[in-house]
Amino acid sequence: MKVLATYNIKGGVGKTSTAVNLAYLAAREGRRTLLWDLDPQGAATYMFRVRPRVKGGAHALVTRRRPIESALKATDFDNLDLLPADFSYRNMDLELDDTKKRTRRLGQLLDSLADDYDIVFLDCPPSISLVSENVMHASDTLLVPLIPATLSVRTLDQLIRFVADSQGNRPEVVAFFSMADRRKRLHRAVIDAIARDRTRVADTVIPALSIIEQMAERRAPVPAFAPTSRAAQCYEQLWAEVRPGTPR
Amino acid sequence: MSNHYRTEGAKDSRHHGVARVSTSAGPVAVRTALMQRQTGVDLVAVRHSSAETSVATMTSRSRVLQAVADSPLELQSIVAALAAQYAVTTGVKQLVRRRRLDTFDQRLHAAGLTLEHQIVASGDRLVLGRRDGSSTVSVPLKDRQWPALADVLPSGPVREAVAPVAGIRALMVSADEMRRLRWLELRNEDGKIVVRVELDEPASAAATPARVTVRALRGYDDQARRADRLLVGVGLRAVENPENLENRELSSASPTAGTSRAMPARVLLATALSDSLLAVRENLPGLLDDVDTEFLHDFRVAVRRTRATLKMGRPTLPDVMRHSWEPAFKWLGDITTPVRDLDVYLLDLPVMRTWLVTANPTDLEPLATHLRSRRAVERRTLVRRLRSARFRRLDREWGEELSRLVDTLDDAHGEGFSAGQLIDRSLSRAYRRVARGGAVIGADSPAGDLHELRKRCKELRYALEVFAPVIDSADGNRAVDDLKALQDVLGRFQDSEAQRMAMRGFAEQMMIEGTTAGAMLAMGELIGHLDVEQDRARREFGASFARFERPSNTKLMHRLGGGT
Repeated sequence: MKVLATYNIKGGVGKTSTAVNLAYLAAREGRRTLLWDLDPQGAATYMFRVRPRVKGGAHALVTRRRPIESALKATDFDNLDLLPADFSYRNMDLELDDTKKRTRRLGQLLDSLADDYDIVFLDCPPSISLVSENVMHASDTLLVPLIPATLSVRTLDQLIRFVADSQGNRPEVVAFFSMADRRKRLHRAVIDAIARDRTRVADTVIPALSIIEQMAERRAPVPAFAPTSRAAQCYEQLWAEVRPGTPR
Repeated sequence: MSNHYRTEGAKDSRHHGVARVSTSAGPVAVRTALMQRQTGVDLVAVRHSSAETSVATMTSRSRVLQAVADSPLELQSIVAALAAQYAVTTGVKQLVRRRRLDTFDQRLHAAGLTLEHQIVASGDRLVLGRRDGSSTVSVPLKDRQWPALADVLPSGPVREAVAPVAGIRALMVSADEMRRLRWLELRNEDGKIVVRVELDEPASAAATPARVTVRALRGYDDQARRADRLLVGVGLRAVENPENLENRELSSASPTAGTSRAMPARVLLATALSDSLLAVRENLPGLLDDVDTEFLHDFRVAVRRTRATLKMGRPTLPDVMRHSWEPAFKWLGDITTPVRDLDVYLLDLPVMRTWLVTANPTDLEPLATHLRSRRAVERRTLVRRLRSARFRRLDREWGEELSRLVDTLDDAHGEGFSAGQLIDRSLSRAYRRVARGGAVIGADSPAGDLHELRKRCKELRYALEVFAPVIDSADGNRAVDDLKALQDVLGRFQDSEAQRMAMRGFAEQMMIEGTTAGAMLAMGELIGHLDVEQDRARREFGASFARFERPSNTKLMHRLGGGT
């Protein structure tokens, strides 16, 4: 089982869109896929038309009072399940802080699903927190969407340092540009100038397209409702680059 | 009616649509006549599958609640019933060709798996499920012809689940049906699909009946139960065990029920010979089509069992068996040997590559090419012989011979050997020959002596297997286990000897063909390894034979009749 987390300290950079679309593409290939919506805002959960509610909330999950399997929901798509968001996830840091091995708890919970899934996506809330540390420990890959702006690149530097300084498991960091507008000189300049020696940067750039914004309206992944769109093709290219087992 | 079990007269699509012919002189007819004679009931010949093996569970832990209607499904009434609780989306009716896949010996079925190649207008899919309907996973499939080995399936969860179960056996089409499928999606107030309902109607009257399958989605089991209740409310009836719909022929009756030591030995022998002929005929199409190497293997096992049974039955079988049929089956065994030997080398090559210490594994590629080329030549010869008038006559006349044997059983009843007497005589003789042969083997015994002992062990093994229906099963299994351990050591010794010699022969031929120095050096390493392996097997023989001859095993053989 491979764990990929869409993560960025900043919000509104395309984490959820990426997690939803890539999870759909993984499932479409026949891989048994789970998406865990860790963000209490529940955007990914909303897009799959699932109610953002987990019985017992974050407390029951983290303390294992209820088995994680009982919270899983099938989506409308073959091979793709969802672990929904719950508003109580806003307190997940506190719940994790009360457990033993507090930075490894999410990984332990995922271990119990290792026989059921080939790929797990974690859609993370925008922050650096105990949840983030758990995500570091649990993940094989951090997918980091970047808006092509100077501050975004600075944020990536912070994240790379955070991963480098973390104890134990260090996931591979794969950044990619998201919500890019080639018409903007600054965007072009940042994309061309980013240093690719410090971390892996995917060749695929996800453009700022209105059809991606329509995901919330259509409540479905882009390749499901607009399979021939440019956005769908971009996500397919990105998946081809970051898919576990793809030679580089 | 779809059918992929080995039942008499049933349409069998495993061999490219070639139905197995079952004539009045066929082994099934003989077998059935024998069982009726013994039990007074109709039985069908069924090969029972091995125990279930487990595979990882899949993503969707769906629960199948199935209902069957004897008449065509009425979409309107079904949708009306469901629409009371859900927003129902009705998909278009699709003509689907459902090709059920399994290995010839039904390994997927035994492991609780179902695999279907579904062909629809929008594209092909490979659908893997658990037989109880608890989970499914599907992947797109392109341009796949069957039979094919599982390792050519698209990489991913289907191949990962199927390949270890299928092993070296090819996946074949075990049932092929055209169905008319229509999906209904039941959505809640959020527009989320919470239940899927499949309306499945046959495209022809001969196929399995129409059915409705309610598929629960993970996390929405309560909704599936509700949908099920709604459907029962419109007159559909639930089926407790959906699997039985497709496998009605699977009989639970033991094919050897009613056998005893008091029965005439000829009945026991005729049963064993009929089973072997059945196996010969079952494996012949796959052998001729070169579907996988196990068809030839199983064909040869059936031939060897026939020969061993004839030999054991000499005291009670007609003379014609010894004078005509023993040589006929020796010929049949002999003509299959060259291809089987080459199959074994080719199957062993991946392991042989791991033996190399200094040579590169790729250095063995010329050997692989040489083996494949020789196999192609030998296979052509074998196929020609198996399609010859001589083989066709053997097959037909042997069936007739077995029918005559059954017909004369009543006349012979009360005369000659009982099964018990034959068992005592045969096991005793076979066991004594193994015991004596093993006792004189020493560190310097020539390889030929060990080879002879191996043949004696095989005779004893066949005796235990042929008489298994009559002897105590626990004792029989223990005896076979002990014998297997001795056979393993002798097999490794003899195989090393034979492979070493064969490797020299291959090397000489390859040199004439101008092979590489690397290949010669690598084969030299293989010969060295085989030499070491043979020495090891010889050293292990003493302990293995002592174990076989230990008092508890001797007592066991006495109980079985082998020590008298």
